[in-house]
Amino acid sequence: MKNIEVPALARVEGEGGLYIGVKDGKAVEIRLDIYEPPRFFEGFLVGRFLQEVPDITARICGICPVAYQMSSVTALEAALGIEISPEVYALRRLMYCGEFIESHALHIYMLQAPDLLDVPSALDLAAVAPEVVKNALRMKRIGNEILKAIGGRSVHPVNACVGGWYRWPEADSIQALLPELEWALESAKEAVNWSLSLPYPDLEIDYEFVAIHHPEEYGVMRGDVWSSKGSQLPVQEYETRYLEEHVQHSNALHSHTVEGGHYLVGPLARLNLNHEQLMPEAKQALKETQLQLPLKNPYKSLIARAIELAHFYAEAIALVKSYNPTGPAHVQLKLKAGEGCGMSEAPRGLLYHRYKIDDQGRVQFARIVPPTAQNLPRIEADLFAIAPQLVKMKHETATLTAEHLVRAYDPCISCATHFLKLKVENRE
Amino acid sequence: MNIIVIGLGQTLRGDDAAGLEAVRLWQEKYPQTARTVRVELAELPGLTLLDLLEDMDAAILVDAVHASAPAGTLTRLGPDDLAAFTPGSGSAHGWGVAETLHLGRSLYPWLTDVRVTLIGIVGEQFATGAGLSPQVQAALAEAVERIEAEVRSLL
Repeated sequence: MKNIEVPALARVEGEGGLYIGVKDGKAVEIRLDIYEPPRFFEGFLVGRFLQEVPDITARICGICPVAYQMSSVTALEAALGIEISPEVYALRRLMYCGEFIESHALHIYMLQAPDLLDVPSALDLAAVAPEVVKNALRMKRIGNEILKAIGGRSVHPVNACVGGWYRWPEADSIQALLPELEWALESAKEAVNWSLSLPYPDLEIDYEFVAIHHPEEYGVMRGDVWSSKGSQLPVQEYETRYLEEHVQHSNALHSHTVEGGHYLVGPLARLNLNHEQLMPEAKQALKETQLQLPLKNPYKSLIARAIELAHFYAEAIALVKSYNPTGPAHVQLKLKAGEGCGMSEAPRGLLYHRYKIDDQGRVQFARIVPPTAQNLPRIEADLFAIAPQLVKMKHETATLTAEHLVRAYDPCISCATHFLKLKVENRE
Repeated sequence: MNIIVIGLGQTLRGDDAAGLEAVRLWQEKYPQTARTVRVELAELPGLTLLDLLEDMDAAILVDAVHASAPAGTLTRLGPDDLAAFTPGSGSAHGWGVAETLHLGRSLYPWLTDVRVTLIGIVGEQFATGAGLSPQVQAALAEAVERIEAEVRSLL
């Protein structure tokens, strides 16, 4: 087999290359090469006042800025020993609903569905199934509207701060979201049924699933770090079990457990670990699928996203109905030196932050562990699992198959560039 | 008549900020005209560009463009030119103006009734952190006049 170069992997965020080394008809090395260096953000933050951190880190990603804001405010509030009010927390949940809605609706319909339906892009999907794409855009739009109502704009919203919010949004602008949310919830239930009808490749992996778990709510911003292997750790102990290391071919660090294993974060992990905490409407939708959990097929994370969409629409409806802010929008900060960590579930998985601050509230140290860094070794391992089939395929088919698997993870390699080159090299 | 003027681009990518800057300067120079229409500065609107066009009779998009002409050259694409655009990318972040309008036309019949015009400013440097090139900077004054003339032709 001669070397193969493929110009572009579409519908993945970030710049990377895929290398497959083949010997005696077998894949002996697989590397997801990542060139993008977003981690310089941790350096930018040093010396900055803590209140700047949520809006700076939000710039790491255009699709999940809320995740960066929420993980950072949670960590910095822990460092200052601040308790936020239930009203502040409820509005944070609502804003997070908006982000999940935007991101999942985009990924399900625009990024992954074209693979499953064997069309080149969402533009082609629109040509054959215009109603599906029209509904998708409408479902996504309500997520944008939530972010705009709370944060002033739908991309890189502002308003979140350490201690709460700069101001409460007007009740009218929040209540106005309700009709579209109610429409979207019904659409999401249909989306779950539609997701079951899609043809998924056969692949089952014995994953270690890792997600935030909370006994009383679908884990997003508070709770413990649960693993399907039985580990249950408070956020303060996250770094005792989940470690990062630099690997030569990647500018994103790679995570592994202290035992050396790979693990999976994201919608499959959340659904498998937290399905008991789904909103009743989503729980019912899941029940009607008759799926046996845990789901172990990475391609079927699309189904998990569809169920989560139903959950987040239902939760957003409840939060909008109960929105009646009283009291101050944020706690007055009393600065002191300290250290704190926080985490939240970005649409593509667990996002951990840790900060040290001085007595003037200036950042002395920052650590950010994004979900895709945790999933990268797992993606490589999954590519290894399908490599025996890949090396026997025609170049074009092999590329599409590899791309599809990578896309199923919804990796957020970065927001800078958008391609992945596939190189299959024969070492014989 | 509902008219929207939309400045497009990225402030952190050199000449890609040209559309945003031109619309800002036009608002400053012609505040009375600007007050009669809706004005949006949209950094990377992606698919939400379609939301901005909803309920509009006419839209003037101002954006940096790639072309064989020298940097700073102004171009105008009318509704017919834009209708002939073919999408060139299917990437996650590749929802440029052409792709988005193409998708919109295939989904929403109302979009064909929105008279969309694009004022393009040819750019040459798009590196992260680069400022506007001198050629693009020099072209902004003329771009402002083009925006004003375009809006006035619709009022």
